[in-house]
Amino acid sequence: MSNATINGRRALTLSTRARDRVQVGRLGPSRLRIALSYAVLVPVTILFVSPIIYMFIASFKPNNEVLSGFAVFSPQDLSLNNYLSIFSRFSGPDTGTFTGFLTTSLLVSSVTVVGGLAVNSIAAYALARLRWPGRNLLLLGVIALVIVPFEAIAVPLFYMLDGLRNTYLVQFLPFIASPFSIYLFYSFFAGLPKSLEEAARVDGAGAWRTFFSIMLPNAKPAFATVAILQFMSSWSSFLWPVMVIDDPTVRPLPLAISVYVGTPPYGWGNIMAFGVMMVLPMLVVFLIFQRWFIRSVVASGVKG
Amino acid sequence: MGQFGPNGPGCFGQAQIGGTTTEVDNVKPGSRLASTTAAFALLLAVGCGGGTTNATVNGGSGKGTIVVWADQSQSGQDKATQAEVAAFNASQTDVKAVLKFIPDADLDKTTQATSPKELGDVVEVDGPYMQAWIREGKLGPINGLVSAQTIQNQIPSVIAQDTVNGKLYMVAQIDSGLGIYGNKALLGAAGITYPTGLDNVWTADQFTADLAKLAAKNPSGKALDLKLNYQGEWPTYGFLPIVYSAGSTVMTGGKAAGHLDSTQVVAAAKTFASWKPYVDANTDDSAFVKGRVAMSWVGHWVYPAYSKALGSNLVVMPLPDFGNGTKTGQGSIAWGINTSRGNGKAAAKLLDFFANDANVTDYTSGAVDGDGAVPATKTALAESTLYAPSGPLYLFAQQLNKTCGSGPATKDCVAVPRPQTPGYPVISSDFSAAWFNIFNGADPQAELTKAAQLIDTDFQDNGGYQLSG
Amino acid sequence: MLLRPKTPVASIQQDTGAAVVMVIPAFLGLLAFVAVPFLLAIFLSTQNLHFGSGLGPTWMGLEQYRRLLLDPLFSADFYRALINNATFAVVVVPAQTGLALAIALLLNRSLRGMPIFRTFFFMPVVFPMALVSVIWKLIYAPDDVGMLNTVLKVVSFGHIQPHDFLGDPKTAMAAIIVTSIWSGVGFQMVILLAGLQSISGSLYEAAAIDKAGKWQQFWNITMPGLRNTLVFVVMVTTILSLRLFDQVYIMTRGGPLNATTTVMYQAVTAAFDRGNIGNAAAITVVFFVLVLAIALIQRWFLREEREIA
Repeated sequence: MSNATINGRRALTLSTRARDRVQVGRLGPSRLRIALSYAVLVPVTILFVSPIIYMFIASFKPNNEVLSGFAVFSPQDLSLNNYLSIFSRFSGPDTGTFTGFLTTSLLVSSVTVVGGLAVNSIAAYALARLRWPGRNLLLLGVIALVIVPFEAIAVPLFYMLDGLRNTYLVQFLPFIASPFSIYLFYSFFAGLPKSLEEAARVDGAGAWRTFFSIMLPNAKPAFATVAILQFMSSWSSFLWPVMVIDDPTVRPLPLAISVYVGTPPYGWGNIMAFGVMMVLPMLVVFLIFQRWFIRSVVASGVKG
Repeated sequence: MGQFGPNGPGCFGQAQIGGTTTEVDNVKPGSRLASTTAAFALLLAVGCGGGTTNATVNGGSGKGTIVVWADQSQSGQDKATQAEVAAFNASQTDVKAVLKFIPDADLDKTTQATSPKELGDVVEVDGPYMQAWIREGKLGPINGLVSAQTIQNQIPSVIAQDTVNGKLYMVAQIDSGLGIYGNKALLGAAGITYPTGLDNVWTADQFTADLAKLAAKNPSGKALDLKLNYQGEWPTYGFLPIVYSAGSTVMTGGKAAGHLDSTQVVAAAKTFASWKPYVDANTDDSAFVKGRVAMSWVGHWVYPAYSKALGSNLVVMPLPDFGNGTKTGQGSIAWGINTSRGNGKAAAKLLDFFANDANVTDYTSGAVDGDGAVPATKTALAESTLYAPSGPLYLFAQQLNKTCGSGPATKDCVAVPRPQTPGYPVISSDFSAAWFNIFNGADPQAELTKAAQLIDTDFQDNGGYQLSG
Repeated sequence: MLLRPKTPVASIQQDTGAAVVMVIPAFLGLLAFVAVPFLLAIFLSTQNLHFGSGLGPTWMGLEQYRRLLLDPLFSADFYRALINNATFAVVVVPAQTGLALAIALLLNRSLRGMPIFRTFFFMPVVFPMALVSVIWKLIYAPDDVGMLNTVLKVVSFGHIQPHDFLGDPKTAMAAIIVTSIWSGVGFQMVILLAGLQSISGSLYEAAAIDKAGKWQQFWNITMPGLRNTLVFVVMVTTILSLRLFDQVYIMTRGGPLNATTTVMYQAVTAAFDRGNIGNAAAITVVFFVLVLAIALIQRWFLREEREIA
């Protein structure tokens, strides 16, 4: 596998050039093939993305027009009312404000991600690349913990942390160390070629130096993946905050959406607008990281 | 009043780990178990905050700041509550009320997860869940705290819902009404004779036959909206009255078996399930206003939207009679006091304020985009135009006036409170699951018997959910 | 490979020190916030405890487990949940992985605009499952108002009648499966795409020179090259798919008639709707044991090939 990785960089260039060579030689069919590729890709992609388009459009429509077949795509009755009503519904410290929810979610998720990247990556490195007694046992333990779903530990965790109600701390602290993140980092590090570090080790570099100077620069895709996944998980977390938060000023976004989902009349348009606002920051985070993520995943080859 | 345990629910309480054993326990506590238990006890003792005091009636000085937990649901009601709290604070300087809204869908879970000392001084609670919170030490009696005049002015149905063992625990601004809204034009077109009041209610069989007629006349092929899109408490609120209308009860003598699954209820369930082909799924929540169905089985809160859409074409009818007279639901959110925090007297002042006529009228009437709820005070009810004898929603007021109270559901009484027990959440959860399964085609007897057994097992596990004191 | 001198013995000692320091923060976090609560959950599964109750727990021994596994009053729902979980995993893992592979193959070209397509396919992954469930609940809405019904009516020129996808026990699970696949396929696709692009192009060249057809190239070069990536993807997807909860909670509430109830759904409703902590804890413990077994079996069968350098 290490061969492939090293060659991967070279191979990409090779294969691109090889294909170019093939295509330059034959004009007609290759253009057709390109056109066919697009002819398949474009409609498939649009179909695939259509639920998202639906959500965006519905968020600008009155509540009772969201469910009306194709009529929802018509450009009539578009308005910002749903968005405005969210701001007017949440207007003070008694209800919480949308910017307050947003700030809380941003703060909690960012701390979870930054802390998580630091803590989980070094632990995974130690598990993947260093030799020390107890390593295998701990690795097994981590893998076993990957299986434990949050719902299983929500209530016991709640009993343990009840003293920290209504704080930011209680919203991010339990989630910084994450078995799944460790496992992702571990898989990635284990898949990197040993030769990467051996030069540094022979030169006498310790584990920390090796980690920072060799592993980190090569691990961008792993960091991007874990960042995106941990951010999403923290951003959309509902079960935990509903138990430990009642104060509207430290309430995260997902709790507030319940207002539109719980009692009738259901405002589907409101819900869609709230959904759009909830997902936009994640889309932004994703778009920032995806340049790292997809392009460098491609370049250096992530494997299991 | 009795003990509810020395600590709130955030804690197990040092004395109670590995405490009472049940018949099921055949294991002698070995030393290993004891040490594990002790270790966990230590962990939990560390994790728990200090225990709360008993929920005694220590009212405090009647001054100071109180925290108010309010239910955030309809935007109009929220605004009304905000205005009332602001007015309260402006009208006097002894007590300052700090308002905190919790979204309605989260309210139960959050209240459940909060210990009494962290809960607000004033809590808005959905009627049938009141006993569960009492058992957990989160609500205390308000008889000595709230003014006698306020209590006297509350309508009987609310008093019935909010009283336990002779003590009152909550003050309400509203009670609920449940019935069937009808579209006069569609009903007339299908030649249906429908009840106009409590004197000429229709039987379940008549109702079923009418559904078929209405469906035949409607291009949608449907006739009835049961608000299937609602979740949470709705199925129990909306359909439990059928159990009483069939002549049975949910639980008697602490047991559901033989009552919830009696032959009358099974027969009624079968009838209910037979309506399925005529029922609209209502995902867009507008089957009735868009005319896809002629009738809508739902409570008071849709009245503003319905009357706006149908105008004088709207009629309100009682639920069908399954043998024991027409029965309907009652009970809604009300305000209780968390006396364990020691601010009972101050909190009571707010409750008195909430329950005065101006505020009750404000909350329920169209003035603040109200939702048609029934005013819960005698004086406000008397002055309401919606609920006056000539008013469109008079039926709801009549039904509540004929509440069955805490007594058995006879043929003549109409409004039945939901089962009053701390174990209510379990009843609600198991009943609605069974009821929907039956509606979707499962065998009624099997489902109801299973629900009854689940309820009974749970009650047995929890000592019948006895409320001491 | 060039010869490398053996790593000095001294660095193994240093490794232990550094390793311990590196591992401690995560270890403490996992211990305190995952392991200990889970142990506590195991303890609670032997108790009778009502959530939020001021009364402490009372000992119930293995009664919760007996009920769950042996008492028809409780076990019928639980076994149905297990069957549903198994159905879901057995369908979703190959279908989603296969679809992801197909899309990755489709996107594995150096055509212009590939990054844009990749982004679009990955987008659903960024949506919280709860939001995805709400959107698809609207899409599956019965009657003419639902988007899917409208689409079907149009493409079939009115032949296909509106259907209640979520309300019909025969189609509810399939509907949830489609939603889940839509939501997760982008993530797998991106990983598989990376795996594809790391396969040496020279292998393909050599095969083309040897006149090997596309299919042969696929089976003999692509699949072996993707092996480890696929194993990783399959194992992770399996574990995650067994945790099915959000979609069921929002779209079908376990129905109709238990057609979509899952183990995690039952655990959460037991804890929060019925307040029965002991029961919920027992469910999660059984779940853990089962999934652990499945993961171990999977790992044994699909042992990854790692180069031992």
